[in-house]
Amino acid sequence: MSSVEDILAAENELTHLLGAQQAVVLSTRIRLARNLDGMPFPGWAKVPQRKEISDRCVEALDALPKFRRGHVLRMGELGDRDRAVLVERHLVSKELAAGKSGAAVISRDQTCSVMVNEEDHLRIQVVKAGWHLRGTWHIAEQLDDALGGSLKLAFSDRLGYLTACPTNVGTGLRASAMVHLPGLCLAGHMDKVSRALNQDGLAVRGWLGEGTEAAGNVFQISNQQTLGLSEEAILKHLGGWIKNVVEQEWNARRRLAQEEGEKFVDRLARSLGVLRSARLLTSSEAMNMLSHLRLACDMGCLPEERRHLVDRLMIEGQPAHVQARAGQELDSDGRDRRRAAVVREALKDFPEIVPPTA
Amino acid sequence: MSQPIKCSLCEEAATVHLSQVVHGKVTKVHLCEACAQKGGATDPAVFQLADALTTASPAPTLTCPKCGFTDIDFRKRGRLGCPSCWETFGDALGGLLLKVQHEAAHVGRAPAGTLPTGQLRRRLDAARREMEKAIAGEDYEAAARLRDEIAELEKQLATL
Repeated sequence: MSSVEDILAAENELTHLLGAQQAVVLSTRIRLARNLDGMPFPGWAKVPQRKEISDRCVEALDALPKFRRGHVLRMGELGDRDRAVLVERHLVSKELAAGKSGAAVISRDQTCSVMVNEEDHLRIQVVKAGWHLRGTWHIAEQLDDALGGSLKLAFSDRLGYLTACPTNVGTGLRASAMVHLPGLCLAGHMDKVSRALNQDGLAVRGWLGEGTEAAGNVFQISNQQTLGLSEEAILKHLGGWIKNVVEQEWNARRRLAQEEGEKFVDRLARSLGVLRSARLLTSSEAMNMLSHLRLACDMGCLPEERRHLVDRLMIEGQPAHVQARAGQELDSDGRDRRRAAVVREALKDFPEIVPPTA
Repeated sequence: MSQPIKCSLCEEAATVHLSQVVHGKVTKVHLCEACAQKGGATDPAVFQLADALTTASPAPTLTCPKCGFTDIDFRKRGRLGCPSCWETFGDALGGLLLKVQHEAAHVGRAPAGTLPTGQLRRRLDAARREMEKAIAGEDYEAAARLRDEIAELEKQLATL
C-alpha cells in the first residue's frame, strides 16, 4: 500500500467522528512559516541546495515524537492523482504539489503536516476538526519549539521569523477557520460580511484556499497581518470575528427558516432527493447539495449524528478522491457517475427531512 | 508611439489596469491577463506589493552579498532570495512592509532558548513599571519578586 492510500484508508478527525464536530466551523488551522538560517529560500535555491534543505528538514521532523509512524512523502516520487488527493485534503498546497523538490511530513492522525520546500523551507500546519483555536495553536507552538531545538531558524530581533515573502514575515502565523455559511449566502449577505472582514485585516477565501471558488458555501477566513502583532493578538482578533460570524450565520439561518417556512424545508428535502437518486453528479453540484444536508443536520431537520458523514462526502466527493477510491483514472462523466454512486450508497438509509427544531 | 505598459509582476504586456484610492492617494497597478487571473487583481496584498514594486528603479542598485539576489529579482518575483536579503533590502522594504503589514517591528515569539534583546528590553520596561506600581500599592512581596526579575533581566542583557 502506498502512503497516500494509507492516508485515504485511515480514519481521521475530519472524515470520521473522532474529534468534536461542530455546526458552522468545519475546522481550525494554524500555519507557521519557518526557514533555515543561512540557506537560500526554495524559490531562489539551486537544485542541490533544495535537496540539502529537504534532507535536513525531513531528518529533523522525522525524529520528532509527533511524526512517529507518520508519513514522509516526496512530491517527485508521487503520481499526479496522489498529489491531487493530498491537495484536496489540504495536507499540501497546490504550489508544493506542482514542484518536484517539495516534501510533506504528515503525522499518523493527519492533524499535523509540515511542507518542506514550498515558498518557505518549512510550513508547519496543524488542523483540528471544529472550532479549537487554542488547542490547535498549542500543538503548533510545541512543534515549532521542538523544531527550533534541532534546527537553527532564520530569525531577526527586529523582524522576527524571516520569510521569502514580506506578507509572512514576523510571526509567520496564518490562523484560519473553515466555515460553512449557507445562511448568509442564501440571505445574500456574504458580500457584506466579506467586505467587513477584509476591512478589518482578515482574508476570505474559497474551500481550497487562494483563488478558489467557495463551493458548498464553505469559506476560509484568516489573518493577513503577521508583523507587529503578537501571536496572542492575532488569535484573539480572528477568534473575535469568527464568534461574530458564527452568530450572524445562526441569525440568518433562523430568520430564513422562520420567514420561508415550508419553502426552507422543501429546499433541503429536494437536495436530499437529488443526492439520493442522481446517476450523474458533478463535484460542484454535490458540494452545494451536501451543504444543504449539513445545514439540515445543524437545524435539527436531520439527526445531528449524520453530520460527520456529510463532511466525509464533501471531502471524498472531490475529483481526485473519487478516482483514488475507484482505483483508476476516470473521465469527467465517469467521475460524475462514480460520485453519484458513492453518494447514493452513503445516503440510502438517511431519514426524511423534518421541519427545523434549532 | 509610446511603449506598451508592462505587467507589474512578470514583465508581460499589461492588459488589466487598476487604480486604488487610499487616504486620498491614488495608486495604480498594471497586470497581464495571466497574473490578473491568478488573483492578483483581487488580492489587496498583491495590489500593494505590485504598487511598491512599480516605483522601484529599473537597474539593480542592491545585491545581497550572501546569495546574489538583486532588487530587480525582487521586482520580478515579489519574494526574497535568502534570510540575509532582509538585511540588504531591509531599508528599501521598509515602506512596503508598512503598506502590507501596517507595522515595522516584530513583537511575537522567538525560537526556543533565544529570547532576543528587543524582547528582554520590553520585558524589563514592563517589570520596572510593574514594580513601581507594586511599591505604590504597598505590595512589597510582589515588588521584591519583580526586583529579582529585573536584576536577572539586566544580567542577561549585559551578557548579550
